[in-house]
Amino acid sequence: MRFSTLIFIGLLGALAAALLLGSSHTYAAQDREHVSDSGSRSYLAGTDELGRDRAVRTAAALLLGLTGACVASALASSLSLLLGSVAALSASWLGRLLLYCGDLFLTLPWIFLLMLVRSALPLTLPPVQSGVVTFLLLAALGAPSFLRLTHERVSRLDKQDWRLHAHAMGLKKSQSGSQLLSHLWPIFWIQFLLYVPACIIAEANLGTLGLGIAEPVPSWGNMVTGLQAAALTSTSHLVYLPVVTLVLVLVALELTIFGAKQ
Amino acid sequence: MNHKLKRAAVAAAVLFCSPCLPALSAEAPARTELAWTLHYDPKTLDPAKVDDQASEQIRFLTAGVLIRLNRSNLSYEPALAESWNVSTDGKLITLRLRPGLRFSDGSPLTSADVVATFRRVLSPATAAPVAEEFLDPGKVIVDAPDTATVRLHLPNRVVGIASVLDEIAIEPANRITSGAVTSGPFYVAEYKHGEYIRLHRNPFYWKRGNAGAALPYADDLRLDFLENTETEELRFLRGEYALLDHVPTEGFSTLARRMPGVTHDLGPSLNTEQMWFNQSDRAPLPAYEKVWFRDTTFRQAVSLALHRADIARIAYDGHATPANGFISPANTTWYNKALRPVAEDAQSALALLAAKGYRKQGNQLLDPAGHPVKFSILTNSGNRSRERMASIIQQDLAVIGMQVNVVTLDFPALIERLMHTQAYEAAILGLSNVQPDPSAMMNVWLSSSPNHQWNPEEKSPATPWEAEIDKQMRAQALASDTKVRKAAVDRVQSIVSEQLPFIYLVYPNTLCAVSPQLDGVQLSVLQPDVVSSIETMHWKGGRH
Amino acid sequence: MRILLRLIRVLSLVILSVIGTSLLMYMAPGYFTDAREMDAAHAVSERRDLQALEQQQHSSTALLRSELMQWAHGDLGTSRQYGSSVTSLVRERVAQSTHLLVLGSLLGWSLALFFAVLFSLRSSPFADATVAITTALLLALPIGVLATVCLLTNTAGPVSVLACFIAARDLKLLHRLLSTAWLAPYVLHARAQGSPVFTILRVHLWTAHKREFLSVAVMSFTLALSALVPVEVIFDVPGLGHLAWSAAMNRDLPVLVAVTGLLSVCIGVASSFLPLQRSIEVG
Repeated sequence: MRFSTLIFIGLLGALAAALLLGSSHTYAAQDREHVSDSGSRSYLAGTDELGRDRAVRTAAALLLGLTGACVASALASSLSLLLGSVAALSASWLGRLLLYCGDLFLTLPWIFLLMLVRSALPLTLPPVQSGVVTFLLLAALGAPSFLRLTHERVSRLDKQDWRLHAHAMGLKKSQSGSQLLSHLWPIFWIQFLLYVPACIIAEANLGTLGLGIAEPVPSWGNMVTGLQAAALTSTSHLVYLPVVTLVLVLVALELTIFGAKQ
Repeated sequence: MNHKLKRAAVAAAVLFCSPCLPALSAEAPARTELAWTLHYDPKTLDPAKVDDQASEQIRFLTAGVLIRLNRSNLSYEPALAESWNVSTDGKLITLRLRPGLRFSDGSPLTSADVVATFRRVLSPATAAPVAEEFLDPGKVIVDAPDTATVRLHLPNRVVGIASVLDEIAIEPANRITSGAVTSGPFYVAEYKHGEYIRLHRNPFYWKRGNAGAALPYADDLRLDFLENTETEELRFLRGEYALLDHVPTEGFSTLARRMPGVTHDLGPSLNTEQMWFNQSDRAPLPAYEKVWFRDTTFRQAVSLALHRADIARIAYDGHATPANGFISPANTTWYNKALRPVAEDAQSALALLAAKGYRKQGNQLLDPAGHPVKFSILTNSGNRSRERMASIIQQDLAVIGMQVNVVTLDFPALIERLMHTQAYEAAILGLSNVQPDPSAMMNVWLSSSPNHQWNPEEKSPATPWEAEIDKQMRAQALASDTKVRKAAVDRVQSIVSEQLPFIYLVYPNTLCAVSPQLDGVQLSVLQPDVVSSIETMHWKGGRH
Repeated sequence: MRILLRLIRVLSLVILSVIGTSLLMYMAPGYFTDAREMDAAHAVSERRDLQALEQQQHSSTALLRSELMQWAHGDLGTSRQYGSSVTSLVRERVAQSTHLLVLGSLLGWSLALFFAVLFSLRSSPFADATVAITTALLLALPIGVLATVCLLTNTAGPVSVLACFIAARDLKLLHRLLSTAWLAPYVLHARAQGSPVFTILRVHLWTAHKREFLSVAVMSFTLALSALVPVEVIFDVPGLGHLAWSAAMNRDLPVLVAVTGLLSVCIGVASSFLPLQRSIEVG
């Protein structure tokens, strides 16, 4: 199961790359005579509201969005794991302080920080670089959401028998860290999977503030946001293609973890 | 165990579905009430302090004014004043009130109330935005020789004084009621922040309909505050709203498909959508970029490269008209018919640029000094039509080798760049024109104005053509002869179409939807659009 | 004593979040602007008002001092956007948001728990795959899209959308938690002895995993708070989320600070719940 789903994601990625390389259309080219077209021989999945090839754009969005969101999610989950472990294993005052900071962090409207970052960046920043900045910010902002959960899990693990045995055998806390880490993989994966779609949506919302992957470079975020208007005006079900690929990838990721568990 | 689980499953299903029920059963509207939406709360209910569109609409519905602009034929008609006279020098305006006028609480309306209203509006303590239109409000003298006559002594002629009087709501003397007591068709009965405002019919309103019946015909109005246009359209389709003004393009096509016959495309509005380059001295831009943006040929080339017809067809789904100037053809009095439509020709654009020393290297245009022509275009986020327009422009300019980065920002961040820091290269925005008279646009065209977007607050006009625009705009503001004014405004339109400080893109069409059950509706492109005929609007079969 | 410490913690959280919010908004681009500046007819008067505001709040220290003084006197200030008292604005909207939040959370939590128990109890590749696919499908649908689709198709209201959002996230966590919990030796023993499922849940699982359950509940509550904004904005529910969004977009500092303060009280109280529970047990 694990290998088959991994192969599926790999195939999806390869298909996207092949589409991008093999298509005669680029993701930004507008064919103004074929706006909001349904599928045809020239445009397999039709065109969007500006006459751009939907299949090519979805393929590019898949590669860019998934990579960005996965990296940001992995960074956020790792950071959360690190902070949660520090909070659980260090002196109680430090743990409490970290949890306190995490709670404070969640109450603040970070949208303004993102606006500040936008105002500090040059307006001529290329869309892809703007996307990288966005995903890095998302990684930093996402970590505290899971801090409390990680802290609870690590605290619980710390009180388990094998930890006591290890300590009784003379192992320092830091030395038994690698064993602890292996027990934290499930929580890491949950956080990772929860945060991947959150990153994609957050990227789309940040696009409205001038951050995120800007047009004409496609991202799942801006395509899903555009879907709200496209679904209203288009009669073709192909407008749902970006959402379908997104769901396919997420289901495949989930099944990969399921396979690993088996 | 299984039974318990099954029971729990049924309970969960019922619990889950129950919140859907209110969504499925639409509430039928009370037929004595007309309802529609405002997209946000009015900033004020005090008619003297109105400075936003939502408050303007409430003022339109509640205000009794001396002179009213007929939004259908653009003529000024007597309202509370049955007649008025302007002296030859334009400095004395004498207004004669109708007999038997009353406020909505039944108290009589006399010249004393009119004088008190004007004194309050003109007082610096009130800080009424409309006072600025008197040019020197501190020197305006208002008196009342008798209970039915009011005289305004102005220090200078105010062109378009009738349009100024259309904005002043006559209120009871020495009582600030914030719309609770009015001399207009309706008065404010209830206001819930963020939810709705309810207006009741003024039983003492002076106006009569064709058959002599008292106006307005509708008993109550309810204006819900709704930002989401999709919710608004859905509720209109359910019959909860009587009308929709300012329907967005996407919603318009859906509405037309779902309920044929209710939608109306009234053609070009008075509004414009335009692009401009930052020519300000204060702009923190490299010197070579300023050279591009100040070069008329550069702007002409950009204008030639743009496909306005595509913008109208794609970004506005066909509900816009390619623009060639700042006055829309809907403004029949002031539109310069001599202006020709802008050509769309990328080759001519390249030829113009080549003559100035620009050259194309591969797909990139280089300026005479070898700098690649790259810049960003700023626009506000959340406006789908404008975002699409920016994408179309991006591709059009790529054809002539200009590399454009489209940046969308939220409105406050955008305004900070446009009005304060000047940290931007080019922008796309629209201009809403409420008044057809070009005097209302003085703040945009005078070079000293902060709203002179491409180069705000110039100490003296930066170019001869800006000096000429200043001269012509002042001339039209001082002239009493309409022909002289028209000639001056035509000249400004010619200069603008040649110099292109603003590159006009489209005139968005006025789109509205009116319930088929509604009678007495007169459609108008002037704000407040379809609401302009509120006095005669009523449900079919209702009182009229 | 512990309860007092908790209260101090929540109070300090509120004060710090108020300060943080004020500073972030003050420094964000466009604080001293207003959309009416762009309107040629109203630009002059608007500029005058903005200059007065700029003089009044010339530095972040001056801003913070005046904000905190106002709060100390029980005055939340006047909304820049609406021109009316923030207290009355917030009071009008609290009921709407509380109603939505409580119903949505309860419904979402119940659904997640019910299906998590159902699928973990009869653990099979099919059940696991069903949970995986269902949660992945729901997670893949952004709440904004879900809400818009429900609105356009007239299939569900804001409560259902919020519940769906919470349930998708909680189901995944609870299913994973319960899948391993059912396999614990003492639980297997109890099951072998024929103890009813609800008894095992109540006596064994709840006792052993109380903290995880509460952690997930706290997390789902904070998630629900974050989802309030899109749900209220799309369904045009005149609640706190709607108010907060419009305050952020219009740089209405007094309103945003009040809403943030309120949210931090909610989060502070929610996150204090776990230690408080422990202290009661110990006490």
